[in-house]
Amino acid sequence: MMILIIGGSGSGKSSYGEQTAVSLSAGKDFKKYYIAAMKIFDGEGQKKAERHRALRSGKGFITIEQPVDFFRVLEKMEEGNRTLLLECISNLAANEMFSGEVPKPPMETAEKIIGEIQKVQRQVTHLIVVSNNVFEDGIAYEKTVMEYIQAMGRINQKLASMADRVVEVAAGIPITVKQEDSRICRF
Amino acid sequence: MKLIIGGYAQGKLDYVLEKYGMENVSVWEGTLPNSKELAEKTVVINHFHNWVRNRVAEGGCPQQEVRLFLEQYRDCIIISDEIGNGIVPQDPLEREYRECTGRILIQIAERAEEVERVLCGIGQRIK
Repeated sequence: MMILIIGGSGSGKSSYGEQTAVSLSAGKDFKKYYIAAMKIFDGEGQKKAERHRALRSGKGFITIEQPVDFFRVLEKMEEGNRTLLLECISNLAANEMFSGEVPKPPMETAEKIIGEIQKVQRQVTHLIVVSNNVFEDGIAYEKTVMEYIQAMGRINQKLASMADRVVEVAAGIPITVKQEDSRICRF
Repeated sequence: MKLIIGGYAQGKLDYVLEKYGMENVSVWEGTLPNSKELAEKTVVINHFHNWVRNRVAEGGCPQQEVRLFLEQYRDCIIISDEIGNGIVPQDPLEREYRECTGRILIQIAERAEEVERVLCGIGQRIK
């Protein structure tokens, strides 16, 4: 099953993503992987990553840092049933777009990420993707920022069409946007 | 009349074209039509917020103009970006644009028989 979770900053989307991964894997022999797309630049980032890792540790996640080339997680996981939590598209898209000398074109960035997510999705039992709602402030940023937002918009739309469930999280409350099969229990 | 709102780059126009059929609509980009020559097709106003922005910048009275427009085009579809979920900008024109767009969307939503919010290309009927 694939689930897309979207929300604003501090909305509780990460915590909901973790809960979802845990309940999808509960009582089963599933390995849980947390794919961190954030690139660590400094001590502050390092601290944040360590804190998040400690918060997750009791829940049995194995952390893989994968700031670009998401499909490479396939080389880093063990065989068997796997639940993946990818956090998050805004980091992955920024890393893919701005890692080179010049920014990668937005649709090329989007297609690369979508293609790699599709590839990984076929190899795992559950894939949960966390994304960010960065689309509603009405600000006309400079061109590269607008292109970055366009890439994220494209990725979110495509992931939403692939997903069995799409959930928006607001104030920690999950709101179902799409539910492919109503027989699947909600959690 | 129908109102479609949602964030930037959420696939709102694609959603409308898919739902109502590309051949059945005539799409206006950030502008309101001023004649009824295309009356046989449903008028879609895309990037409606841009029209509000231009009218605010030009010192127009968009609220009044929209009212007159809606009386003429009772079956139109209006598509607007959600622009109000951010920090209120310092620039007076930017502030007026957001405030005015918000007020007009409320006015349109009250009259609309259907309001949908599009997120990640998926429409949710909220009225």
